[in-house]
Amino acid sequence: MADRRDAPIRILIVDDHPVVLAGLTSMLGTQAGMEVVGSASSGEEALEMPQARSADVVLLDLRMPGMSGIDTLHALKRAKIKARAIILTSYETDEDIYRAVQAGALGYLLKDAPQSDMIEAIRAVHGGKRYFPRHIAARLAERMMRTDLTSRELEVLGMLARGLTNKEIGRGLAISGNTVRNHVNSIIEKLEVSDRTEAATTAIRRGLIELSN
Amino acid sequence: MSFPRLLRRRAVVALLLCLFLALGLAGLRAYLHSPGRGLPYRDSFSKGTAEEWKALGGTWELANGMMRNDSDERGAKLLSGSPYWHNYSIEADINLLGVSGDAGLVIRSRDEEEGVNSYNGYYAGLRTRDNSLVLGRAEHGWIEVTKSNPAPGGIRPFQWYHLKLMAFDCQIVAVVTAPSQGTSTSLAINDQDCVQTGRIGLRSYSSGGIWRNVVARSATHQDLAEVLRRVGNERNSESRNPVAPASSEIPSPEQQKAVPRPSANTQNIDSLLLSSFAAPAVATIRGVVVLTTPLLFVQDSTGGVSIPQPTAPPLKVGDEVEVTGEVHPGDFSSTMEHAKVQMLWARTPVPPVSVTASQASTGRYAATFVEVQGRLVGKERGPDNTLILDLDEGPQSFRAIMNPGRSDYLFSKLKPDSSLRLRGICVVDPAFTKNLTPFVLLLRSNEDLEVLAGPPWWSTGHVIVLIVASLLLALVGVSLYHRVEHWRLRAILEERERLAHEMHDTLAQSFAGIGFQLQAIRNGLPDHSSPINQQLELACNLVRHSHEEARRSIATLRSEDLESEDILVALDRCARRMVEGGSVEVVSEREGDQRTIPLRIADTLYRIGQEAVANAVRHAHPFLLTIRLTYSGDSVCLQIEDDGAGFVQRSDLQGFGIRGMRRRAQSISAAFQLQSKPDEGTRIRVEAALPPRFTLASWPKLLWKYGKEHWNNGRPARRANSHSYRG
Repeated sequence: MADRRDAPIRILIVDDHPVVLAGLTSMLGTQAGMEVVGSASSGEEALEMPQARSADVVLLDLRMPGMSGIDTLHALKRAKIKARAIILTSYETDEDIYRAVQAGALGYLLKDAPQSDMIEAIRAVHGGKRYFPRHIAARLAERMMRTDLTSRELEVLGMLARGLTNKEIGRGLAISGNTVRNHVNSIIEKLEVSDRTEAATTAIRRGLIELSN
Repeated sequence: MSFPRLLRRRAVVALLLCLFLALGLAGLRAYLHSPGRGLPYRDSFSKGTAEEWKALGGTWELANGMMRNDSDERGAKLLSGSPYWHNYSIEADINLLGVSGDAGLVIRSRDEEEGVNSYNGYYAGLRTRDNSLVLGRAEHGWIEVTKSNPAPGGIRPFQWYHLKLMAFDCQIVAVVTAPSQGTSTSLAINDQDCVQTGRIGLRSYSSGGIWRNVVARSATHQDLAEVLRRVGNERNSESRNPVAPASSEIPSPEQQKAVPRPSANTQNIDSLLLSSFAAPAVATIRGVVVLTTPLLFVQDSTGGVSIPQPTAPPLKVGDEVEVTGEVHPGDFSSTMEHAKVQMLWARTPVPPVSVTASQASTGRYAATFVEVQGRLVGKERGPDNTLILDLDEGPQSFRAIMNPGRSDYLFSKLKPDSSLRLRGICVVDPAFTKNLTPFVLLLRSNEDLEVLAGPPWWSTGHVIVLIVASLLLALVGVSLYHRVEHWRLRAILEERERLAHEMHDTLAQSFAGIGFQLQAIRNGLPDHSSPINQQLELACNLVRHSHEEARRSIATLRSEDLESEDILVALDRCARRMVEGGSVEVVSEREGDQRTIPLRIADTLYRIGQEAVANAVRHAHPFLLTIRLTYSGDSVCLQIEDDGAGFVQRSDLQGFGIRGMRRRAQSISAAFQLQSKPDEGTRIRVEAALPPRFTLASWPKLLWKYGKEHWNNGRPARRANSHSYRG
């Protein structure tokens, strides 16, 4: 495996936009220690390319016609292609990042990232590490913590966990018992639990609420 | 995009609904206009109902399960059925009540009015004058097509005949059978330009008559042929069978046969009042019958007289009679007892005298046929199932008594407070008035009652219903309006989303690609300090900056899900994202009782907030950024405050997207405030009025407020949240 370190990193680029594809190929091609072994304009095309199997790192766009970046990640995994994937996209919504990481992406880069970051990311991922720029990492962490509960639902959840009835919660928040019931139903649905007791235990376990005193 | 598809689906659904509706209406119309709807028809006279019949003239009443017209009126009609009936037949048993005139059946009748021949259709009748069966067409005029003598014995009154009238295409056939004689006679015409469809009717001319077993059924060509064939046979047989002597079911009185001879020795009816109370004198009067049941009333030009239990032939309204009997004068009218009535001849019924209720109550018109108007106060059923109407005209109250039977339906439909015109015999006899009212009107049939106007619409119930209905309508209108607004806004948000995608797919990608390409060129240059390299670096930075700008535009365009999420939460997240873990502390606060904000207002507030937060983060470099959302009764206020650099407010200073924020605020009629001083931070406040909540309690208040503003300003108050996009 000694030559492995000296051998150039073989990169496969998947992006539906030709300008991006050309630019990236040119840019990465000029880098020492890197070799663009192929470029595909869609996930489907990438899966059929023989280079996919030999590539070390795949740079993957998120939004593409046909298979999306996430779909392509899953498909690569299914096809037992071992190449490590970095998401390279213009999107940075929490959900995008979250889903990409869940699908097995090892890096997440924005297309306006400086060249140095990009090189560093490719090297890091190739070396088996993860690479997330600071703000992406922060938002990923935030997303992991967050639930879809609204602030009012969190309030209701907090009181519910203290064992209050709907009526008592309603009195405490100055809303009607019906509204509380709606909130509770919505909480149960969002947390994917079966009843209010389970909602409370799940919320505490996931740190959504704290039971002080 | 899902919206156009949704729209298309809605359009298709609407189109299908319209189609179904149109088909349904067409089907309903076809059903209503179908030439056989309601056929066969069989009368229910024996059950005492005849609601489906409509009278034009005459005194049509049900008696003993038969329809009876006691009036000598010429061309009295009773109509029923559908005006779209085409090929069908009508048959009935008919009994004439008078020696002059005719009675029979009408087929395919349209455009009926009151009057002798005021209809368009065919009539077949039995005429006593020349012992004939007549058949012809009435078209607001009478074209007697043909006639023949049905029986050598002649057509006699008070005898039953069976008449059948059939219309098939343009052939009209009439067949009469005298059951007692067992002979049939027929008449047929072929009218070139025939009436195609029409209703059925019973009709009499001067004679009056009784009808029973009225049946109408569809006719086919075979039926027509059958009738014609049978008639042909019977006509042949007729010549073979000698005619049996006429034997009538109702014995024909002697008077019918004798030529009536008026007595010369008659006196005026009003002179009867002068007779002595003590010794009842025998007198003879002449007059016209105005009422037959429950009491016989005879009237001449001077007044009327009531004749209880007379010895009399069957009489009809309109018969000229001579009455001889004991006179019992009353206060206002006389009574003749043990009277013998001789029928002279039939004449036109006398028209009523139009009087007011006050005039009628004087007794001047006692026992005469009058016409009075009045307002219906109440109705009740009297003894013997008679129908009693309580009426008044001004201060004068009176009663009207109707016979049961055909009037039942009309009676049940009458509404209190209706204005009525009634014709009847004015009776002041306490036997009828029971001293409750000054006079009582005895109505002959329900044609004597005419509803001039229904009760006024502004009865309490109606007004309440009206108010409730208009309130509901207003509510529906308001909710529809908001729904439409909501759809429109959805469309805008979706369009924004589409635009964001579009920009992402083209602009942002191109920037990224060009950036990479420039970087590649830079990488290829050996000398990193050459001027060309520096220029390339500048170009790289420019592209990156543009890329960032594009990404920000896209992020702004992408709609947040404000329908299910609170704007404060969304703004808070937006601010934290912009700060990106920097040293700026973001505080979000909510005050007041949270309530749903309409999507349009929420979206605008969010956009303004986003811009304000971006301004603060980018330019002011604050330590603390406070986002506050305050709900009050009918408004919501968004305040974004920072403790950053601030700036000098000048009127010409329109940067930092302030103009945009102001315009957005204007679009929802929100008050926009900006406070800023150098080194003292910036505060932006947007206060938007929320649409009033439509609850039962808030309605009167809102109406009052609206009305007050409207009248004070002399122009309609501007809506709290105008939905215009004018800047």
